[in-house]
Amino acid sequence: MISVNAGNITKGMYLIFKDKPHLVTKTEFMSPGKGSAVMRVKYKSVETGAAIEFTYKTNEQVEVADVEKREMEFLYRSGDEIVFMNSKTYDQANIPMSLIEDQVGFLIPNLKCWVLWYKDAAIGVSLPPNVTLKVIESPNEVAGNRINAPKKLVKVETGMEVMVPIFIKTGEKVLIDTTTKEYLGRVK
Amino acid sequence: MKTWQRIKKDPKLLKTYFVREKVIQTIRKFFKKEGFHEVFTPIMVPVPSIEPNLEVFETELRTSKGVRKRAFLISSPEYAHKKLLSAGVGNLFEITRSFRNEEEVSRLHSPEFSVLEWYRVNADYMDIMQDFEDLFLKIVGKEKLRYQGEVYDLKKPWPRITFKEAFKKYAHKAIEDIKDEDFYKTLFNEVEPEILKTKRPIFLYDYPISQASLARPKKQDPGFAERFEVFVAGVELGNCFSELTDWKLQHERFRKDLALRKSQGKTDFPIDEDFIEALKEGMPASSGIAVGIDRLVMLAADAPTVSDTIFFPDNELFDL
Repeated sequence: MISVNAGNITKGMYLIFKDKPHLVTKTEFMSPGKGSAVMRVKYKSVETGAAIEFTYKTNEQVEVADVEKREMEFLYRSGDEIVFMNSKTYDQANIPMSLIEDQVGFLIPNLKCWVLWYKDAAIGVSLPPNVTLKVIESPNEVAGNRINAPKKLVKVETGMEVMVPIFIKTGEKVLIDTTTKEYLGRVK
Repeated sequence: MKTWQRIKKDPKLLKTYFVREKVIQTIRKFFKKEGFHEVFTPIMVPVPSIEPNLEVFETELRTSKGVRKRAFLISSPEYAHKKLLSAGVGNLFEITRSFRNEEEVSRLHSPEFSVLEWYRVNADYMDIMQDFEDLFLKIVGKEKLRYQGEVYDLKKPWPRITFKEAFKKYAHKAIEDIKDEDFYKTLFNEVEPEILKTKRPIFLYDYPISQASLARPKKQDPGFAERFEVFVAGVELGNCFSELTDWKLQHERFRKDLALRKSQGKTDFPIDEDFIEALKEGMPASSGIAVGIDRLVMLAADAPTVSDTIFFPDNELFDL
């Protein structure tokens, strides 16, 4: 059994909570002045999608879910499910949309990624660190903001909205960090 | 956009920020009327409070003659206050700043925060509960608190529940049967969520002795300590002790806490022997409380987070 110190739990981990695999969606570290340091964890069940909160002492051991990774390609979206395919064996995997909401905006056709499996069920996806996306909608005029780095919100080919520098125009391609959704650069 | 820029654009926002000024004024008036002395103690000290789980801000003091000393920002002004109690200052209060490092910056936490502490001599934690009720009612100005769409009934006396009762009521467990390492798990997952839901303020008191910190054991029941926390509108506002005045016991707790700090890789520093000295010389029986002013202001201003009441919140200053 592999376990993690509760103080080191981070968003995106798959852990065993009440004997079932859960995805960590949020963590909050708290050390009350006169008490014990604790880690408040928000979970999403990979079986039901239900959200639940639990608080651990930071030095507790929490079991890590034995998740297996297989390289697959994104195929298409079908209703509430996202379909991936193994390009060698043509095996397919369906993942409920609710489990990968944060990643859906990066899925462009044939994107190679790692599909995560827990006991023969596809439960999530691990993306490449960054993905190139085409801007399809962008406001032309944005009031200059001299204080902060000038940025604007644009829509990319997958429908997701991201912040990019104001010089980016519709039709251009941008490199976006898949963890933070940050703009990394323009792709020529 | 920074807060000052947003205010410039929309001066109506100032209303929320000015609540702090009123709250501070009310606090001063309240304690002056009760005959308390307002004291002013350092925020930069050679030895900070020993909290096993808190990390400190450390700096260095250097004189023109090349003397170098370790210096820390306080995580609480409590030691200075107890030295003053020993000195014979009597009932006292202070409005000051405190600092905690390596914390999550969140709705209720920021690394630099404002704190109110007050101490009553010849008093215990029950007296401080009454002080707290009276002060809070003065701050809100009426017996109902409207906060984020909910209404909280502030009529005195506020409900008081012991840890023993709370664990039985909410976790259906006898507190004596809970192992030390499971205490916080049960508290945070079963007891506190219920406490935070109530539409009445509530005092949770009589901590198990393992969580006594700077509180004295109960005379009739030494398995518990005279300590309480107070919650209003789902927010923990203060932590109170009937102060431990037994220097030997305090020294022993400090040694344990320092060992715990070391084992967790926290900044190492010595025990404040001056504080132990003050206890040795005789600190009068007293009770004191630390209250988060930013949280008080947040509730009084009906603001969703503490940062919404601070002109220069840490998350904005440091881009966190």
